[in-house]
Amino acid sequence: MTKRNVVDARMLGGMSRREFLKIGGAGLAGAVLLGVAGCGGGGEEGAGGKVQLTLWHQEQPPNRVQQFQKVIDAFNKSQDQFQVRQQVQNWEDAYQKTTSAIQAGSQPDLQFTIPDFTVAIKQTGAVQPVADIVEEINSSHPFLENAIQPYRYEGDTWAVPLFGMIQMLWYRKDMFEAAGLDPESPPKDWDELGEYSEKLTSGDKYGIGITSSKHLYTDQEFYTFMITNGGKELFAEDGSVTFDTPNNVDTLAFYNDLSRFSPPGSNSWTWAEPQAAFNNGTLAMAIEKGQFLGPFEEESGRPASDLGVAPVPWPPDGERGSIYYSNAAMLLTDEEEKKEAAKEFLKFVLEPKNYADLLLGEPGLFLPVTQDGASPAWKDSEVLSKYPEAVNLMVEQSKYGYLFGFTRDKIPQGIGQISAENLLSQVVQKAIVEGDSPEAAVAWGQQEMQSAAS
Amino acid sequence: MKARQTSFRAFLHDARTGSAPFGYLLVGPLVLWLVITIAIPLIYAVYVGFTDAGIIGTEADFIGFENYATVLGDAEFRSAFGRSLIWAVGGAVVQTVLAFATALALNQAFRGRRFARTWIILSWIIPTIVIAILWRWMLNASYGIANFFVTTLGISETPIDFLGSPKWALPTVIMINAWRWFPFLALLILAGLQSIPGELYEAAKVDGANATQRFFNITMPQLQPVLYVVGLIGTLWAFNIFDVIWLLTQGGPSGATQTLPVMIYDRAFNGFAMGEASAISVLLCAFLLIFSVLYIMFVPAGESDTEVF
Repeated sequence: MTKRNVVDARMLGGMSRREFLKIGGAGLAGAVLLGVAGCGGGGEEGAGGKVQLTLWHQEQPPNRVQQFQKVIDAFNKSQDQFQVRQQVQNWEDAYQKTTSAIQAGSQPDLQFTIPDFTVAIKQTGAVQPVADIVEEINSSHPFLENAIQPYRYEGDTWAVPLFGMIQMLWYRKDMFEAAGLDPESPPKDWDELGEYSEKLTSGDKYGIGITSSKHLYTDQEFYTFMITNGGKELFAEDGSVTFDTPNNVDTLAFYNDLSRFSPPGSNSWTWAEPQAAFNNGTLAMAIEKGQFLGPFEEESGRPASDLGVAPVPWPPDGERGSIYYSNAAMLLTDEEEKKEAAKEFLKFVLEPKNYADLLLGEPGLFLPVTQDGASPAWKDSEVLSKYPEAVNLMVEQSKYGYLFGFTRDKIPQGIGQISAENLLSQVVQKAIVEGDSPEAAVAWGQQEMQSAAS
Repeated sequence: MKARQTSFRAFLHDARTGSAPFGYLLVGPLVLWLVITIAIPLIYAVYVGFTDAGIIGTEADFIGFENYATVLGDAEFRSAFGRSLIWAVGGAVVQTVLAFATALALNQAFRGRRFARTWIILSWIIPTIVIAILWRWMLNASYGIANFFVTTLGISETPIDFLGSPKWALPTVIMINAWRWFPFLALLILAGLQSIPGELYEAAKVDGANATQRFFNITMPQLQPVLYVVGLIGTLWAFNIFDVIWLLTQGGPSGATQTLPVMIYDRAFNGFAMGEASAISVLLCAFLLIFSVLYIMFVPAGESDTEVF
């Protein structure tokens, strides 16, 4: 054995070079085959030759995922041409994940969306028009106008509405009683809201949840206050930004003032935290959407009758309203077979008997967007039957629902970026966290929004 | 010149004969992988920095150095850079103190030393997302255990919003990151401590040196090679940390924890300004390169430079 062979053998753990190359080559070939097998298959034909449809959504709570799966399973069983599978994402990185997937050619076929998200993703060219699908469904199950309107522009419709969400004022009747307030008389205007918030704040109890984190929740809550004080139009008719107004300055000043009665930590709140504080008795009032209904009894240990709901109070010269999200499904595939699959799936979902199952993914949060959607199967479900007044109020409040940037017929392009950057919540942070005056904070917001919209 | 030509000729000779071809065959796939996954994206990122790319995947025009001019004139960029320096230096100080203390303790003989040496790495092996959730929970201003002790022990009358206060957020995130990484550093230092010949300490004791003198005249010089490598790699790593900051604060509140990596991500994916984000990342890369070169040139590597590089 030569010196070189000895060296090689020691390097190769005693094997000869030929043996090592054989084994190494076989291993490498196997790894390549595994990789190719793993890379393959993105929505092609599944078991039994069915057309596979991949659905992304951002509703992470397990109960929602489970309920969506129930609807999906029912659809898959009801026919033998198409098969739908869901994949759960989250709103925090939905923008970057979806755009990256589109860039890589691995985007889902269908994705749940909100209006500003659709505007942003549409810039990639991947969003398909769905006016034909909406028209077909509309002929049997007419949509609410404010559900379709945010997706109708540039001569087409860009997503199929699925469910709506509206913000309300939620309050603890037991905490109202303990503070000497009438539990059947929630605040009706800003003066009462401020007064009640102060009365309900004592020790480790706080009157109202005012969030000031850089988060979509803050965008939503602050915009609701803006609506009630005449600030629902973020853009003028000509598309220019009209954020810096005396009304919005007053709104921010009031919001900042109310934050004194909010629990510590609301600077960094995310979705479930206000609800957790409400249910554990730390917080007496919160402005949020209908997800408060489902877990209230279990998490608070109080009866359903202790949960109060009311429209968000508005100032004397303001108007009733709150932020409204029309959640929809956007089509990201241009393959005809998959378009057909998506159409059939959405038609199935919006049939009242199946629609109730979808809406019960989060009882109270998901509201019907069709005129026949508020069916007995939905209203008489286990959770909602305990809160008939709340359900009716939310359906009623939906008529006064608006979404920033989507209040006019023309949708400004910059709204996607304004929403993605959470500019409204950054304005709130300027005032509450950094201590800027409301005037300076709103002026800053105007500048940033103009830059985003240009 | 002749020596260089000779060694290059020798290199070419080895490349064609001997065991070198086989060696190249073994490392070839890895090099190819590195080129595909690092070099090509890096070059592409540099290119994107010269365009007005918005959302990833959309069309972009070449705009020369406009992004660089915008970024260098942006006060937010300068603030983020300053915060990155505070993050790196602050983290280095805290981690080094914790790691040294831990390594010195673990180098002593005591009951349960083996158990301690094994489980000290617990914070390092927990996934970052779990760490973020745990700390957000513990530091919560309303119900977190940290504030329970803060208020009960009278440290503060009202709860401290550790992650929501501009004053506290950056130091808090630095401490959490230091808690996460100091075990790794401690193990490196411990390995260095264990390689120090015991005779040196005995001789020093015989000569009358006290503990402090032994530490500064024996321990520190002997650990210099380890500290040299840790200082360089640790700084480069620290500058590039994104995950723990994003998961804890997303760069907030109000930008108080926005370091350069956070700013790059935010600008690219929330601000839809991929071109600017790429320009910032190139500037960061250039800074770290200059830092590395200066560090290697001027920081003493220890007893023998060739032992390290």
